[in-house]
Amino acid sequence: MRYFDARVIENRSLGGGYFVLRLGGCEPLVGSRPGQFVMLRGDWGRDPLLPRPLSLLAVTQEGRADLLAKVVGKGTALMERSPSGSRISVLGPLGNSFPVPSADVTDLLVAGGVGLPPLFMQAEASARVGLASSCEMLYGGRTSRDLVLLGEMRSLGIALRLATEDGSLGRRGRVTDELEARLEHWLGVAASRRLRIMACGPRAMLWAVGRIAQSCNIECYLSLEEQMACGIGVCLGCAVAAQEKPYLYVCKDGPVFPAAEVMAHAPGASTGASAGGAR
Amino acid sequence: MTAIADTPADGSALRATCGGLEFRNPVLTASGTFGYGQEFEALLSLRGLGGLVTKGISPKPRFGNPPPRICETAAGMLNSIGLENVGVEAFARDKLPFLRSCGTRVLVNFFGTTFDEYVDCGARLAELDGVDGLEMNVSCPNIQAGGIEFGRDPTVLRDLVRACRAVISKPLWVKLTPNTSDIVALARACADSGADAVSIINTITGMAIDVRTRRPKIATVFGGLSGPAIKPVALRMVYQVHRAKIPIAICGIGGIQDGTDAIEFLLAGASCVQVGTQNFVDPASVERIIREIEDYCRVQGVTDVRELVGALATGQ
Repeated sequence: MRYFDARVIENRSLGGGYFVLRLGGCEPLVGSRPGQFVMLRGDWGRDPLLPRPLSLLAVTQEGRADLLAKVVGKGTALMERSPSGSRISVLGPLGNSFPVPSADVTDLLVAGGVGLPPLFMQAEASARVGLASSCEMLYGGRTSRDLVLLGEMRSLGIALRLATEDGSLGRRGRVTDELEARLEHWLGVAASRRLRIMACGPRAMLWAVGRIAQSCNIECYLSLEEQMACGIGVCLGCAVAAQEKPYLYVCKDGPVFPAAEVMAHAPGASTGASAGGAR
Repeated sequence: MTAIADTPADGSALRATCGGLEFRNPVLTASGTFGYGQEFEALLSLRGLGGLVTKGISPKPRFGNPPPRICETAAGMLNSIGLENVGVEAFARDKLPFLRSCGTRVLVNFFGTTFDEYVDCGARLAELDGVDGLEMNVSCPNIQAGGIEFGRDPTVLRDLVRACRAVISKPLWVKLTPNTSDIVALARACADSGADAVSIINTITGMAIDVRTRRPKIATVFGGLSGPAIKPVALRMVYQVHRAKIPIAICGIGGIQDGTDAIEFLLAGASCVQVGTQNFVDPASVERIIREIEDYCRVQGVTDVRELVGALATGQ
């Protein structure tokens, strides 16, 4: 983990409030793993005050980092308007990561809206080691405008299955409907095949994914988002109710948790903003 | 600008004294914003700090409040962490060895929920090697008095500090709540009962509402406001206590983001300052703040930062 200044080298709008911020000078992030995040802050004066947690979308060997975000508040609105050349302070890489891809496991990656980045990075990690065929991306959003970077994902060679609530792209319905369909398929055609689910998205979606995984007795990892001030386990703001002890911390124990660890209090839990993105 | 040559180059101009302790410089990190020190080891040189104040320690571990625990507000943040900490024995066993070796002054913030808990916790901490001083958090609900904070009533505060003072020979500071109509009376109660310094201020009680869900933004409804939004209130309270000429040193806290902010507190009467929420905004900022104070001293020809304490010019 390092604290350093990076520069915006490209800021690409994807429509619908989504944008990809490309940062140069991120050599300290080289080697970051899928699921890890950074705390970002521009020269914004005193309001908003705190840095924003954002999951990494991609980091190149040359130290170029891509971040996907959606405008949901002051911080992300300022990021979206950051021109090339602007300075952004970066603290990272922070947190843990998803399990590494493996030839004897099929990974079902379930992304909801702006929760895509860590799963995109996971898919890329699979593709890089020649395991694109043992990985499927299930990606859902409210409308087609909430599904971004589709071309990039297709070029990775992974199976991509889409769902929108309004039916404007892919299956009409929720991404969890698609997950249930795919599980039925996999459990039917290859009952002996080991499956793993990894998910990031709105809290309600994650609990639904966790419940589905539990009902099928499938290994499941959820990447959670919570309000946090520091990212390094100091402010203790990002507590989530846990199974083994009263609380776990998204920044230092997560953001990726085995579903069983955080599902204890899931029903009726807050349906927070989408994961992977900042407020 | 001939004054430049008059300022010692070895950094000794920044040496500060507060509440029975000497510091390399007048900048400490505030309780709850710097963990147990080790979390920041990779981000800055702890040796360069004036000192650090640990997370508040209680006799037994505490697990804290349900989430959401924090939210951002205009130029500040609200928190309701719930005084979560590892407890005094785990602190002594797991956290103190690092602090002992980190090369800076260590004050341990502590609290209890009864008089006896305060006294026992304070006494236990005071006997530990590596603890340079103690800071009492008196913004904790008194469970024997209907949950009213110990630190709001000068009489209760006087008795509590006196009881702790009797068993603590190391420097004893008291962190005062700003949620009072008379900060001077609270500071006087601390001076009367033998405390060495008052830390002014703790967070200001506040709240925030999510209009979309119509719910409070933090689970406990009310939380403590910190950050630059509270600086003018903190500065006013430091100055009120200084102006009252109460025989007790002041450590100023509240929204300090840069060297200028810190110097404002010194001029208002603080002998040193603590940086809190800013550690979240920019985890290396304490180093910069120290440098900025040094630059100010050089430019202003200040050879001893202690000259600035209470040097506010008022009147014509």
